Amino acid sequence: MSVPFLEVLATPPLNSVQDLGRPGQRRWGIGPTGMVDGLALQVGNALLGNAPGAAGLELQLFPVRLRVLRDGAIALTGADCDARLDGRPVPPWWALPVRAGQVLELSPPGATRRDLAAPALRACLSVAGGIDVPEVLGSRATHVRCAFGGLEGRALRPGDVLAAGAAQAPAFRDPAGFGALPPATALPLGEDPQATTVRVIPASDYDDFTEASHEAFWSDPWRVTIQSDRMGMRLEGTTPLKREVVQEMRSHGIVCGVVQVPPGGHPIIQLNDGNTAGGYPKMGVVIDPDLWRLAQLPPRSLLRFQRCDLAQARAAALEQDSYLAGLRRLSALSLMTPEVA
Amino acid sequence: MAAHNAFELAAPRVTPMGSAAFLLESEGPMCLPTQRRIWAVGQAAGDLKGVTDTQPGMNNLLVLYDPLATEPEALQAQLLALWIATPDTPAPGKLIELAVRYGGDGGEDLLDVAQRKSMTPRQVAEMHSSAEYTVFAPGVIPGFGYLFGLPEPLFLPRRDAPVNRPLLLNVFIAGLQCNVSGPPVPGGPQAGPTGWYSLGQLIDAPAPFDLTRDPPGLVEPGDRIRFILDEVLE
Repeated sequence: MSVPFLEVLATPPLNSVQDLGRPGQRRWGIGPTGMVDGLALQVGNALLGNAPGAAGLELQLFPVRLRVLRDGAIALTGADCDARLDGRPVPPWWALPVRAGQVLELSPPGATRRDLAAPALRACLSVAGGIDVPEVLGSRATHVRCAFGGLEGRALRPGDVLAAGAAQAPAFRDPAGFGALPPATALPLGEDPQATTVRVIPASDYDDFTEASHEAFWSDPWRVTIQSDRMGMRLEGTTPLKREVVQEMRSHGIVCGVVQVPPGGHPIIQLNDGNTAGGYPKMGVVIDPDLWRLAQLPPRSLLRFQRCDLAQARAAALEQDSYLAGLRRLSALSLMTPEVA
Repeated sequence: MAAHNAFELAAPRVTPMGSAAFLLESEGPMCLPTQRRIWAVGQAAGDLKGVTDTQPGMNNLLVLYDPLATEPEALQAQLLALWIATPDTPAPGKLIELAVRYGGDGGEDLLDVAQRKSMTPRQVAEMHSSAEYTVFAPGVIPGFGYLFGLPEPLFLPRRDAPVNRPLLLNVFIAGLQCNVSGPPVPGGPQAGPTGWYSLGQLIDAPAPFDLTRDPPGLVEPGDRIRFILDEVLE
């Protein structure tokens, strides 16, 4: 059963209902969409005892103010947005009970402090039972470009009312709630404290690039430019990436995390709202278990690429899986099921 | 061995597209027989354990999988086995006719293409509409997909730098490809940057994508498209 749970009091544009995306629709030219920081959503869902793919709110512009319409439970993951519930601070990566009438407020990440070692851009709000909007082609994710999914196929607006899928919220053993070890701490990667490191598997056009390009790609830091959004992330480096041989490319399917290099030599990383197909040469692809690291990179932050292979990528996926399994055990210990309560 | 394909194809190049997909790229010139194998393998691969989606491209195939549900090395071998054993997708798909107004608003590049090819705009329009096109692959957003069948005299490399063009079911060409781009839904983007050349605009075209229909897409790979010359604005 679905009940009105949250009212949007204030939000800038570009915040939306997202889940883990819309797989299996590529034959219609429909890409994944879904939460860019999919791991943050999975953490929030694990803490609340939701299904892994239950929909939440992706918040990437602030300030955001929401009123709770009914007693329930929420989790805040992703970027630390100095969240306040009726003025009282809520720690990041935290699940807690909320009561009807309370107001939740989130500020821009880094408004109070900017931490190079833990860049932050997008927050995720999960609710017990998941945000309840109609499924379209198997997913609740908002497809902004095609104007379907999510809440009426669009970004959130002040005045919107969001329903939650759970009629009865779980009860917390500790009314203050409980938290998760953040992924940046639980799954550390890279040695440069000034830059975020992601692992990349070389793609089919890798060998076409010059030796100098290969060298620069793996050893230079890359700066995230302001031309970055849910479609993709443009990078700037000191060495433009060039190909040895230039041939006409054939259009082919592309995925989130693909590092494409247009003629100018500055790479673009494709994200969740990007095209399903492309024809630019590909240097490599950021592995799925590291996509959440990209999701939290604000403009001007630095990125490093670490070479990896399929076996290492699978090990990373297993490591992430076991991190989430640990959070589900923590949740089972920290929540009482509605029947018991 | 169940292989009865008249058309012998070299094994495709298989490379990882990240940690959860493989790209199969066929060798040789772009052609329909190869694409019929691509469609067939894509269809068959969808039934393999751990495969989550497949997407044909231009003589290539993207296969997405869950790396925790299948061994990537084993999947790679299964895909190569399918390439040999899967019969090509046989019959051509349905034929759809689309009326086009060449040139004018929405056909901004007709004159440019004509000049580059030392032809008149009408000759370009007549040549473009004389061919039958095959939907080779889904497009980047819901629509009529990537079309193959452009007559060779109209081949033109895509622009070095993209230009802004309307997207109101416009007919574009680039390289040896053709496509029709438009807002997939009412209220969608009305224009966008593209390296392709806009020849004209569809007249009274059916919506290529409609969520109230089942299936929502009008065309699928293998379907054929014929452009009917409605008028040429010079």
